[in-house]
Amino acid sequence: MSNGQGFEEKERERKVRRRIFYLTFAALALILGGFLIWKLRILILPIIVGALMAFLFRPLKERFEVRWLPHQVQVLCSFAVIGLVLFFAFNTFRKHIPDEEQKLEFKVRLQYKLNERYRQLVAKSEGKSNAVVALLEKELGPLMDRVNHVLVLNPEERHLFLKYAAGYNGKPPIQSRFVDYFRANQTTGKYVIPETTPTGVVSSTAPAAPAPTQPPAAEEGASLESKFSAWILAPLIFLFLGFDNGQVRRFFISLVPNRYFELSLTVLDRLDEAIGRYLRGTLIECFLVGLTLTLGLILLGIPLGIAVAIGVVSGLLNAVPFLGTVIALVIGVGYALIAENVTPLIPGLNPNDLVWYVLILVVITHVLDDVVFQPFVLGSAANVHPLVVIIAIIGGALIMGLWGMLFAIPAVVVVKTAVATLFKELKDYRII
Amino acid sequence: MSARKFAADKLLWETLRPWKRSSPELDRIQFLKTLPFFDRLSNRQLKTVSDVMFERNYDTDETVFEEGQPGAALFLILDGKIAIEICGETSTTRLAVLESGAFFGEMALLDDSPRSANARALEPTRTLALYRNDLDGLMHRHARTACQIYRSLASMIGDRLRSTNELVQMKTPADTAGLE
Repeated sequence: MSNGQGFEEKERERKVRRRIFYLTFAALALILGGFLIWKLRILILPIIVGALMAFLFRPLKERFEVRWLPHQVQVLCSFAVIGLVLFFAFNTFRKHIPDEEQKLEFKVRLQYKLNERYRQLVAKSEGKSNAVVALLEKELGPLMDRVNHVLVLNPEERHLFLKYAAGYNGKPPIQSRFVDYFRANQTTGKYVIPETTPTGVVSSTAPAAPAPTQPPAAEEGASLESKFSAWILAPLIFLFLGFDNGQVRRFFISLVPNRYFELSLTVLDRLDEAIGRYLRGTLIECFLVGLTLTLGLILLGIPLGIAVAIGVVSGLLNAVPFLGTVIALVIGVGYALIAENVTPLIPGLNPNDLVWYVLILVVITHVLDDVVFQPFVLGSAANVHPLVVIIAIIGGALIMGLWGMLFAIPAVVVVKTAVATLFKELKDYRII
Repeated sequence: MSARKFAADKLLWETLRPWKRSSPELDRIQFLKTLPFFDRLSNRQLKTVSDVMFERNYDTDETVFEEGQPGAALFLILDGKIAIEICGETSTTRLAVLESGAFFGEMALLDDSPRSANARALEPTRTLALYRNDLDGLMHRHARTACQIYRSLASMIGDRLRSTNELVQMKTPADTAGLE
């Protein structure tokens, strides 16, 4: 055997050894990775949230780039600007989060107004046929009883409300009108008399159902603590990825075999572009929906602070298809029900019909979102079939609750784009 | 005292200099400086370009890219040898053998049109790759640097076009005579 043949033989053996080594290493890495992901699954969500924030923040960071400033200083400056904006936004928003007194007041007002509306409805229908009245009482009566059961203040809350009514905790006394509402609520009876009640006595304060078994306090505390420490990861990931200047990408590309080098660069780039376009588009869409609702509510005469708070919450939740609109409707109509002394800025509107106007506003916003915002901002970035959207949202909710619902569609878009891009590029590079 | 301190500083500087000079980053910048592609760039600009480049190592006979694949990056040879070849139905034609300091695949910086030839390592080869979209990114963040690179690329393509035209002009009279 000549020297050349010997060398070729050795090289072939080396290649086989290398392949076996890589395969064994990949299998071990997969097993270890799977084990770690399963064991540390509590960290997955904070990591995803931190990475997503960094991803969304990247264009802003690039906008702040100044040639003569070191990268770290630029990132710090952009962090400072974002921190300031978030601080002011949070501070403004916090002012509109109801405190203990306002929550009690809100419950009292909502219960009173709902009962008032129901009674008005029944009174209006009294002149009509017996069938209508019977239908109303049969269908809406039990519903109103359930609503009252949810909204009624428990003894402790009642005691607290009465304290606040007289001025408590450094706060001025609650308006006498709302104290009257409270008294009226106390006398509200059940609309449907339960057939099984032996005495037939109707009580507004029906005995509460036995409370569900609570987890032991220590266990709950430990779980909360571990959740809290896991969520510390989110800002840390955000910070480190914010400071990253392409090193993470370079590291992953360095792991790719030479054969797939250009392919992996192209696939990563296309994915980055598609997902970025979708996420930033969704953010802009949420902002536009929130803005439309806020402006609409202001035009309907709802105070600026409340309108902004409803707009922000509804805009943020608009990221969850269908659910966002439903929540906007619930919050908007909920407020419209308790709103008093509202003067619409649009002439000719009757303040008593505020609920209907809010309903129309939410529908208009939803239509605008579907017809104008989504096609204009997102284009074909999220071309996902509505059935897939519904299945993904339900699946996400079953797996991870509210977070699952929020991340279901981005996850579907990521997987869809990744698969489509990968297949296209693999074919273009003649690998498959 | 100050003279002694100065001498100590000088000694320290002399000791550190070779170490500093041999850092991979500086080596890379020194290498880029020697290439016509980047000869218009300052050290600072070269550092920016170097930061977005990927170092890839190829074994003997390993393919860098194949004819027909979409182009995505320009390759610069740090050391080693690369053969540029076209595969026919029965045989392979070797167009060139490139060595350290040469570059290939530069058309990929313009678009993702298919590669016109195969590139294969003839010996263990180290290359630097500049990805098209990274150069586009430089255009936004360091426009002057990216412009200089595009200008070099344009002038190189212009040179090639001129030499091709000359070749065509040299060949044309004879071909025409043959036809007549």
